[in-house]
Amino acid sequence: MTRLTEIVMMNILQELKEIVGDRVSASPGEMCCYAGDASQVVGLPDFVVRPESTGQVSRILRLCSEHLIPAVARGAGTGLAGGCSPVRGGIVLDMSGMNRILEIDIENQQAIVEPGVIAEKLNSALKPYGFFFPPDPGSLAMCTIGGMISYNSSGMRSVKYGTVRNYVLDLEVVLADGRVIHTGKKVLKSSAGYDLTRLFVGSEGTLGIITRAGLKIAPMPRTRKLVLACFDEAENAGRTVIRIFSSGITPSACEILDRTTLQVLKLCDPMPAIPEDGDVILFEVDGTESSTSEAVRQISEICQPTAKSVRIADGPEMDGIWAARRLVGAAISRLDPMKTRIYMGEDVGVPIKEIPALIKKVQQIAAKLDIPAMKYGHIGDGNLHVALFIDVMNKEQWEKLLLAADKIHRAAMELGGTVSSEHGIGLARAEYLPEQVGTEAFSVMQSIKKALDPKGILNPGKMGL
Amino acid sequence: MNLDLRAINQCVRCGSCRTFCPVFEESGWESANTRGRIMILKALTCGLQPDSQVLDSLNTCTTCGICTENCPAGVNPPEMIESARRQLVSLGKMTRQQADLSRNILASGNTFAESSDRLSWLTDRSLLTKKADYVYFVGCMNSYRYTETAANTFALLHRFGATILPKELCCGSPLLRTGFDARRFVDENCRQIAETGARTVITGCAGCYTTLKKSYPQDFRVQSVPEFLALHISQLDIAQLDLTVTYHDPCHLGRHNQIYEQPRRVIEAICRLKEMKTSGKAARCCGGGGGVRAGYKDLSLQMARKRLEDVPDGVDYIVASCPLCIRNLRDAGAGEKVIDLVDLVAMAVR
Ligand SMILES: Cc1cc2nc3c(=O)[nH]c(=O)nc-3n(C[C@H](O)[C@H](O)[C@H](O)COP(=O)(O)OP(=O)(O)OC[C@H]3O[C@@H](n4cnc5c(N)ncnc54)[C@H](O)[C@@H]3O)c2cc1C
Ligand code: SF4
Ligand code: SF4
Repeated sequence: MTRLTEIVMMNILQELKEIVGDRVSASPGEMCCYAGDASQVVGLPDFVVRPESTGQVSRILRLCSEHLIPAVARGAGTGLAGGCSPVRGGIVLDMSGMNRILEIDIENQQAIVEPGVIAEKLNSALKPYGFFFPPDPGSLAMCTIGGMISYNSSGMRSVKYGTVRNYVLDLEVVLADGRVIHTGKKVLKSSAGYDLTRLFVGSEGTLGIITRAGLKIAPMPRTRKLVLACFDEAENAGRTVIRIFSSGITPSACEILDRTTLQVLKLCDPMPAIPEDGDVILFEVDGTESSTSEAVRQISEICQPTAKSVRIADGPEMDGIWAARRLVGAAISRLDPMKTRIYMGEDVGVPIKEIPALIKKVQQIAAKLDIPAMKYGHIGDGNLHVALFIDVMNKEQWEKLLLAADKIHRAAMELGGTVSSEHGIGLARAEYLPEQVGTEAFSVMQSIKKALDPKGILNPGKMGL
Repeated sequence: MNLDLRAINQCVRCGSCRTFCPVFEESGWESANTRGRIMILKALTCGLQPDSQVLDSLNTCTTCGICTENCPAGVNPPEMIESARRQLVSLGKMTRQQADLSRNILASGNTFAESSDRLSWLTDRSLLTKKADYVYFVGCMNSYRYTETAANTFALLHRFGATILPKELCCGSPLLRTGFDARRFVDENCRQIAETGARTVITGCAGCYTTLKKSYPQDFRVQSVPEFLALHISQLDIAQLDLTVTYHDPCHLGRHNQIYEQPRRVIEAICRLKEMKTSGKAARCCGGGGGVRAGYKDLSLQMARKRLEDVPDGVDYIVASCPLCIRNLRDAGAGEKVIDLVDLVAMAVR
């Protein structure tokens, strides 16, 4: 695919205007705003459109298909892998304007939404019914359901509730040539043919553009409680987590915050109440009053022998801790305004048993390269977020960062893990995919891509496809 | 362009501000959002030409500061945006509305290009003393549009020994917010303030307040009317009113200067207060600041209408302490239901 010539550009702009009216832009400033997400992957689009209906998306994709123009779907652009970055130019479809909650069907425990709905807004709408959409990324307040589905996002509560994949029942998808399909039915389970729904979950806009989603929702637990256990060493904390899980307890969240993370949290406003100094594990349990009290007791008991301190929090204190935890990854420059957090090597995951080994390796990598690394994340499902932060105007520090990120990715793979637990592959991690899944499995992915997008117009370059 | 790259790089592009920016909520385009504006600033340092779309992106920021309040990385976007506006103006890059606004203010000394007397509302000029402890800085809005509020404010402040500058000029806020130089106005107002011998300047306009406090030499103390009233309310003979009101936090009093509690103290001394759906640090912007009302009236009023959705049921008045907010909320449909804090106090003073 080559860059468009000026005359073709004019014609395409005209056609796009006919489809979406004034919801199209080609102005250089606007194109800069759509160059990427929170990762370092960037590329300038030729046009940005903000469709409002499936019909419009279908017409746009037909146009793209006809003229071999790359089409890149975008939600809120909060991704961390460059999934929505138009690295080969073309048209960015900003789906955040398709943001209607079409139906809340409590009897069937489902919600039907357009892809641009913000996850937190869906939860606000479900709250009066006592229901919620469980996957809860830290970016809950700003990311879209379409983006979450396309990355198979997850969050703090996935250790108990699973990832987005567990909650998608049906998708309306516009295929590369403009055809519109449904992948499922409005039923909680189905055993009918290939599981196309699951194929599209996590496909990062490379197979089709999602225009509607039928989601399973869950009743909200009556109570939540939090155990804060503080340890001298992160590795020690990791071992305690394994013991908790082995004893048969499933917390609703299990997060690690290392010393640096605690320092950052202490600089946030409002400051959450975590006076501890060490490496902290937050265990949240949910359920009824009596079941949570019992789980809290058991967790505290298991932590006692190895922890420096153990305490329990609930209510507004717990809410404050979670609110600050959600965005801590972006808050690191509060520690040193000369440094910026760069999302690279930030989402590795390993089998839970290997967590202590992963933590150790990350510490060694950071120490050897003399690059500061904050560690936090969903330790309960083996997912460690490593926050590397550097002075972005310093070339040497950039080089160290790239090296550290590469080593962290490889360390996770060596431990039988993944380069991404929830943030996706995009372009940022594309080079590792064949190695992680194996060349044969990767060639199956290539075949699927070829079957659904023979001209290669959908998000070209992503996932190495 | 020579912008502060350090400040720009502090933004991690997390997109949290998409949830907060009131302009983005109306527009939906990334360039109308805090993060988009910062990406445009970065692109300007790499050669992006400041065309009209770029100017619109930067000029539609109301400088409400809700992004600063919520940015996890501690970025201060309105400061960066204002600095870029200044540089663009110095390079001659501005919208027609910007050019008109500055020409009018510079020629007339006020935001309305009025040639009439700024003190026409003052019936008894003998109340103006040459020397005083306090100067009441009236501001353009109250001088020309809400003259009754100006009269009510002066009636209260005069009891404590306040005077008014004989030839007050616009404080310079609209110029400074939109990228222009306001030194001439700053110097002239300062000269007159010094002549009165006053150590404190009191203003009832949130825009004037921020400007007097942050862009003037610190030769005098600046107080907002709510701060002054909160300190002196017990000295006024106040009757309890059987009213329920709500309070709109002007961005330039609240988030920019942390004045949240004083106006509430004054209201609660008079009547019942019922908070808006978003208030204090989280208060939604009325859409009028940062030159947006002057440059993008429709957008500005759209934001004001959103703000009115925050008004709780069963209130008699929406009280604010900034004539810019009052005008925008009134024009957005709330009409005379929106009043200045001073007008509420005036109703209660026996
Ligand atoms: C501070 C912060 C915290 C975060 N915390 C977490 C976390 O805890 N867990 C987690 O999983 N992620 C987290 N993320 C990453 C990110 O927010 C999520 O991956 C999120 O789901 C992305 O949603 P989005 O709407 O921003 O998608 P975008 O970034 O816009 O797009 C993501 C991908 O989805 C595709 N896409 C978007 N919409 C559609 C559509 N309608 N059809 C087809 N493809 C589409 C895009 O092409 C792209 O490949 C975090 C990010 C930040 C900045
Ligand atoms: S919230 Fe702050 S760091 Fe995040 S995109 Fe907005 S300005 Fe940048
Ligand atoms: S100051 Fe207000 S209007 Fe300006 S970018 Fe921030 S949130 Fe948006």
